[in-house]
This record gives sequence, structure tokens and C-alpha cells, in this order.
Amino acid sequence: MSSLNFDPLQLSIIVSALLVLVTGIYCLIYSRNIIRMIIAIEVMMKAVTLLLAFSGWLMGRIDLVQSFIITMIVIEVVVAVVAAGIALSVYRHNDTLDIDQLDELKG
Amino acid sequence: MDNLLLIITGSWIALPLLVILICNLLDKKTGKSWALPAAIVVSIGQMITTGLGLLQLGLTKSGFINFTIFWNVNDFEEIARSAWASAFFSVDTLSLVVMFAIGMVSLISVLTAKKMNPDKALNFTNLLMVLIMGMNGLAMVADLFSLYVFLEITGVASFILIALYKDKKGLEGSFKYLIMSAMASAMILAGIAIMNAVTGGVTFSHISGLFASGSSLHTFHAISLVLLVAGIAIKAGLAPFHGWLPDAYESAPASVSVLLGGIVTKMAGVYAILRLAQDVFINAKGFNYSLLLLATVSIVYGAVAALKQKDFKRILAYSSISQIGYIVLGAVCGSPLGFIGAMLHFFNHATFKSTLFVNSAALESQVKTRNIEEMGGLAKQMPLTGTSSVLALLSTAGIPPLAGFWSKLLIIIAVWQTGHSLIAGIAVFASVFTLAYFLMIQRKVFYGPAEEKFAGVREVKGGLAVSQVMLSVITVVMGIIFPLVLLFFQTRGMI
Repeated sequence: MSSLNFDPLQLSIIVSALLVLVTGIYCLIYSRNIIRMIIAIEVMMKAVTLLLAFSGWLMGRIDLVQSFIITMIVIEVVVAVVAAGIALSVYRHNDTLDIDQLDELKG
Repeated sequence: MDNLLLIITGSWIALPLLVILICNLLDKKTGKSWALPAAIVVSIGQMITTGLGLLQLGLTKSGFINFTIFWNVNDFEEIARSAWASAFFSVDTLSLVVMFAIGMVSLISVLTAKKMNPDKALNFTNLLMVLIMGMNGLAMVADLFSLYVFLEITGVASFILIALYKDKKGLEGSFKYLIMSAMASAMILAGIAIMNAVTGGVTFSHISGLFASGSSLHTFHAISLVLLVAGIAIKAGLAPFHGWLPDAYESAPASVSVLLGGIVTKMAGVYAILRLAQDVFINAKGFNYSLLLLATVSIVYGAVAALKQKDFKRILAYSSISQIGYIVLGAVCGSPLGFIGAMLHFFNHATFKSTLFVNSAALESQVKTRNIEEMGGLAKQMPLTGTSSVLALLSTAGIPPLAGFWSKLLIIIAVWQTGHSLIAGIAVFASVFTLAYFLMIQRKVFYGPAEEKFAGVREVKGGLAVSQVMLSVITVVMGIIFPLVLLFFQTRGMI
């Protein structure tokens, strides 16, 4: 069981990780290009990786968290590849990566 | 007997993988012709093995089975206690009931696919197997990180399935689902990381022990809970986070819509809520109250929004949002009765919603449109589709003696008993809306004045007809024997 009173270094790691997460979400919401959105997802996942590594350091079980992070990286790559494949097919249909062109489904 | 059970439990993960290997190692032509039959065998096999598993649980009266895959661990208790352990599975009544539903909906989906996509059979089967494996794993997880891993496996397989034909609509629906789902995963994982940091472990038993001890919540506990609830609510499609759900359902091919609407999004979101509400956050008030609020909003919003839709599948999608609300309501209201109601409503929802999606596939293949304004008077030409959709809609709206009535009744009684009488009233009132939009479908599609141009329309045959009959029989029989099922579960100590 870890102590819940973080020292300034630990607190700064948590806060910066959450800031990167928020940056990723902001980028995801406000970009209008599919590739930019995929990059935003990657930024979010980097923040989460930092948080996971930090949590392992805090509880003194880096070995467990290493296995978590490697599993997570594999999954992240799969999601990125699928997203890129969809982006490619969208480009072939629309000749543009603009997200505003994806507007057929409404209601 | 224990060894037999371990083989059965192993087969839930191993069998789909085996089918992928066999179908892809053969040459392409043989692989294509064997793919759909192999998928049927896997789904029927899963229904049989989960039935056997339920019987075994009932006979031993133990309530759950713990096991590992690929390696052996002797002392499960010790693993559960040591906070860093991971990757072991646990099966209880809830998992077996939802796994039976997974087998059933997969079977229906394959029967639908037989008619709809002849050249994509191999791709479809491969992805379906990955999906079944992911959902089975999800049903058996015992720690938060494995939950995330199987959520992603399920998610990735369904993104590709939605865009199976690479048409414009499919790609759009799939991309919207992918973006929302990736955001949800990042939130869930951040929540898991913070939970890991402040509680020192990710297994369900470890975290629930800390919450049960009644120590006051730290700020970071609260942040972690908020992230987890928001992430899972996106995956489930609860009301303020539902944006992707109707688009994904509408754009997917017919057989994939059956899967998505019947089981996939329910497993990814609602099952995660059921599992966490039962095993982990049973004493976390913030988790329960926030989900109670989201569920009530979903029930009302889904029912009202369905009234304005024109597309058959979109109406079903909004109806799903509403029904998801009922399941979550039962799960988080905090009484065991509500939880049983939620579990059985999960199963009933899989039955009647897949019936309705099969009806939509039947209409699409015969009438070539899904716009309900263009149809009319089809009940004469398509008696089977008409009758099965009437049964499914009455079950959805909760009319006795069909299956949906009992589970909804249990949920509403439980919500009333736990003191949320206002929410129970809203839930009953929203049922009336459910009946309203389904009567609207019936009047516009199957009854009302017959259109000249549909004179040549014939009833569907083959897989679609078989699945409609099968699901209608299950709906009616479940409704009649429902009290007996409850009695069996209760006397055997399974719930």
C-alpha cells in the first residue's frame, strides 16, 4: 500500500501526465484532419503510459507494470494500424482527409 | 469432473483461435467454404458448454470457478490476495449467462451472414472468431487490466467488421466508433493507472476489499472513479455519450448489426458495468449514483429520440440506448434483486434485439429499403417476419407473459425498494414510449395500407427464417418458464 501523501516530484508527474491527456483530448476534439486525430489518440496513450509507469514506481512493482505497458503498446499499435487503414480507405473514397466530409450518417 | 470443467473453460478461448488457424492454413477456396460452418460449430459448441457449465455450478453450489489459461497455479486465494497478480480468470453465473447469449447471437449472425455476404465469408469468420474470443475473455476477467485488454480486442474486431465492405457509410460509422472508443480506452486506462497507484493493485478482490473497509475516499480515488465511469459509459453508449452508437449500427452490414446490437456493445460497456458494480465498487457510492443518473437519462432520451427516426436500424439503435439504461439501472441500484433483473434483462435484450435486427435484415433483402415511411402492409406477404417482430417488440416493451416483462419488473421493483421511487416512476413511464415507437413501426411497416409496388415481395427463406423462428421460440419459452429459471438459480445458490 503506497502512501497517499505525494511529494512535489510525484505530484508534478501526475499533473503533467493528466495535462498531456487533456492536450490529447483537446487535439482530438478540435482537429478536422483524420491523421491529426490518430496522432491525438497516440498522444493520449503516451500520457496513460506515463501514468502507468508512475503507478508502478509508486507501489514498488516496476516488473508488473512493465508487462502491462508492453501489452498496452501492442494493443495501441493494433488500434493505430486499423485507424490508419480506415483513413486510407476514406481518402480513396473522398480524395480528402477532412473529417467534415464524413457527414452521411445523421438523425 | 473438475478436469472436464477446466477443459470446457479453456475451450472458450482456444476453440475460436483453432478455427482461425484451420480456416487460414487451408487453401483459399476450401477455407472459404469451411469458414461459416466452422463458425456455426463454434457458436453451438459455446451454447452447449455454457449450459453444461451452468449445470455444474448448480450441482456443486459453489457459485464460481477460478482458473488459469496456459499455465497452472495451485493456490488461487493467495494470487487474489497478492496485489500484483494478474491474468487469471473467474467464471460465475453472470459470466455463464452472458456467454450463452454470446453463443446464441453469434449463431444468429452467422445464419444471417449466409445470405448477405458470400465473398466475405472468410474475413467475416476470422473477425467473428476474434470477437467471440474477446467477449469470452471479457466475461471471465478478474482484474482491471485484463478487462482493458479484452475490451480492446472486442473493439478492434468490431471496427473492422463495421467497415467490412469498405463502403462510404461503413467507413464513417467505423471511424466514429474508433475515435470514441480510443478516447474511452485512454480514460479507462488512466483510471486503472491511478487506481493502481493509490490502492496498490488491480485485481477486483483487492480493490473491493479497500472500498469495503470503509476508509474515506482520497481525491485520487475520486479522479480514478470519474475516469472509469466516463470511459465505460462511452463504451456502453449511455445517453450523453451515445453519439457514435446509432451511426455504427446503421452503417454496419446486416449480420454485423445483429452482432453489435445483440451483444458486442453490451459486452464492452454494460457487462463491464455489471461486473464492476457487483465485484468491485459495490460500496462506492459515487460510482453507483453517477451511473444511476446516466441510466435514467438514457432510458428517457433513447425512447424519445427513437420516435423521430425514419430508418429501421436507427430506431433499433435508439431503443438499445433506452434498454441499456434499464440494465444499468438494475445493476447499480444496490440490491441483489436488481442485479438479477439486470443479468436476465441482458439475456432477454440479446434475444429480442437480435430478432429485430434479423427482421431488419429480412426487410432489407426483400424490400430493398430500410426507410419505414416507404413500406406498408407487409404482414400479409411476410407473415413470419411480421409475427416475430410483434413478439420481440412486445417483449421489449415489457408486456406479460413475454420474457422482457419479468426482467423489467424485477429491475423496477428493485429500484423502488432501494428508495429511488422517482426513478422507478420514470422507468415505468418510459416503457409507454417504448410501446409507442414500436407500434409506430408496426403500423407503418407491417400493417396499414398495402403498397402496390410490394405485391411481388415474398417471405424470406433459409437462415433468416430459421433464426427468426428460433429467437421467437426462445422469447416465448423464456417468458413462460421464467419463474422456474429464477427458482433454479435461487435454490442452487447461484445468484
